[in-house]
Amino acid sequence: MNRQHPKRLLIGAVFTLVSSLGFFLPSLQAAMSPKEILTKADEARGNADGVEWEIAIESVEGGRQQQRTIRVTARGFNSLAEFLAPPNVKGQKLLMLDRNMWFAKPGLSKAVPISPRQKLLGGAANGDIASTNYAGDYKIVETSEGLVNNEACYLFDLSAVDNRATYDRIKYWVSKERLVGLKAEFYTVSGKMFKTATFEYENSVKIGGQPRTFISQMVITSAVMKEDITTMSYRKASIKKVPDSIFNLNLLTK
Amino acid sequence: MGMAGEGRDSDDPTIPKKLAERFSYDLRILTYGVTQDPADSKQNPKNNFLQIPHYLGGLEIRPDLRLNLDPVELSAKPRMKLEYRAWQEGFRKGDAEWKDDWYVNEWLARWKARENLFLSYGRENLQWGPSFLFSPSNPFFQDNGRRNPYLEVPGMDFGRLVWIPKSSWTLSFIANTDEGQNKPDGPNRYFISPPPPFEKTYSLKVDYTGRENYGSVILSYREHSEYLLGFFGGGTISDAVLLYGEGVIAKGNEGLYPQQDSSPFGASMQKLHQNDVDTVLLIGGSYTFERKGTLTMEYAYYSPGYSNAEADRYYSLRRKAGEAFELGGPLSGFGQMVLGQTAVTGLRLLRRNYALLQYTQTNILNVMDLTLRWTQNLDDGSFQITHVVGYSLGNHWELFSVGAVNAGNGDSEFRSILNYQWMVGVKYTL
Repeated sequence: MNRQHPKRLLIGAVFTLVSSLGFFLPSLQAAMSPKEILTKADEARGNADGVEWEIAIESVEGGRQQQRTIRVTARGFNSLAEFLAPPNVKGQKLLMLDRNMWFAKPGLSKAVPISPRQKLLGGAANGDIASTNYAGDYKIVETSEGLVNNEACYLFDLSAVDNRATYDRIKYWVSKERLVGLKAEFYTVSGKMFKTATFEYENSVKIGGQPRTFISQMVITSAVMKEDITTMSYRKASIKKVPDSIFNLNLLTK
Repeated sequence: MGMAGEGRDSDDPTIPKKLAERFSYDLRILTYGVTQDPADSKQNPKNNFLQIPHYLGGLEIRPDLRLNLDPVELSAKPRMKLEYRAWQEGFRKGDAEWKDDWYVNEWLARWKARENLFLSYGRENLQWGPSFLFSPSNPFFQDNGRRNPYLEVPGMDFGRLVWIPKSSWTLSFIANTDEGQNKPDGPNRYFISPPPPFEKTYSLKVDYTGRENYGSVILSYREHSEYLLGFFGGGTISDAVLLYGEGVIAKGNEGLYPQQDSSPFGASMQKLHQNDVDTVLLIGGSYTFERKGTLTMEYAYYSPGYSNAEADRYYSLRRKAGEAFELGGPLSGFGQMVLGQTAVTGLRLLRRNYALLQYTQTNILNVMDLTLRWTQNLDDGSFQITHVVGYSLGNHWELFSVGAVNAGNGDSEFRSILNYQWMVGVKYTL
């Protein structure tokens, strides 16, 4: 009796099964629609139901450096950013309710309405600090493939659905393996690229009880002045239910 | 890193430690000097009536304290102000004095009864609305704090109930129960016009916030005097453009108006329009330049203000009262009384048509914030030019300068009290 024959059969079967998974997994992901892939990528950069995180922003613009630490609480199109450091900006607040924005400062009697054009800091726009909803804010004009740091990616050409979106057009590279956004190019209405961004994901949060990789850094580089770089480091990220009162002007200053 | 719901230390912290974890504070210290030139107008002849100090020096310590005992939040803003005043004009020329003030400018106890229902009582600077020139929809404060952001608006006492039935809607019931620090001899007495006599006021405020617009309606009752329907709203027209409006319809005007009669000066100040319905409307808009600042324009129509005929009577009465006061004769005391009425008419503005042009730019070269403002009285031609500059010296220190220059003839609104005022100072934030 050859006792090694069943053992070899078993090893062969296991080997065949594991090898075929390499074919099946991409097939499973290929079964996801582009919108579903984009939604998955959005999950790693915030959550439509509610997220809170701290962002340390370091901006170099025209050779001048500036730092800010901001606590952001966001839900859908609404976000509240509270400046934590340095001391001379501590307590300032930026409230965004869809396309309405207000800025409040300790000592300023009342919150001032501001326009979306007013910048946060350096190359970071107000919309960059809130959670991302590219799947909802943009339509996919074209899908192709690309590489970012030798990592195979889906390349989405996105166009803003309406004027709620922060940008008119984005080219977005999403990792095929990890389903997270790795790189973005941002364009004006006239088609001119004005900044690029790269992303890292070393954080982890629980979504639906499952750990999920989460954004840890976004580096924004101006396309015009390549030395102008804004680095946003995300920390203390947590998914949480955010009540309406957080975004209420009547309760903003105390 | 950043994992939600991480396990906590199993040792239960002591109560003092828990309180310490929920306590936070800020500390700001300001020191400043002010030079101001009293206008030699008939309202204040030779500065003997208002006795405005020519020089002021101030040191203010401003701690803000907060304790979060969810669902209760407590906060307090105690203040210490040490002020030096020196006179260069009038009876008090050569006088100097020191004054210290210890007070709580604001405090608040807020209870979150439910996630969408809040009750609070405390002393607050309760402001709202998008306008810079003034806030007609606000029945509580005449000063909206926009002219000099380094001066704190004195707080008043309010009870509030805030209910958020849906994310887009808020309903507030507000009771203004006491004048608090907002009184004629309050902490800013040399910087702003004195407030009118206090009356308890009750308001119902309804707020709506849409996708790119917002609006509010405020129904108010001021005891013994006025019913007011305030409103404001605005919209984000594009990435660069905001439009807004604000106003009030009021029944019951407690302002003083000049009436010809048989008084020694041929006229006197009287409440003539207590049953009138008045309208105040302000419209404005702003444009933000790419990588630069924001230009704002406003126009306000203030119907309770004086007409040309009323203004002529007012200035004539004021001239006669001022001359009587200066002469020191038998009518001097009467003149002084009338000057008190012409100085505080109970009206927010003296005339009917105003315009504002403002340029604001923040973070210039990463260190400077700048505001330049032109406020024009379109009826009498007088105007005021204001600058506000803040310059950062590192993360804690800020140099600031706030100045106002008034122009117009002697019988005009902006030249009645001061020719100019300039404040320069340093702020330290811990």
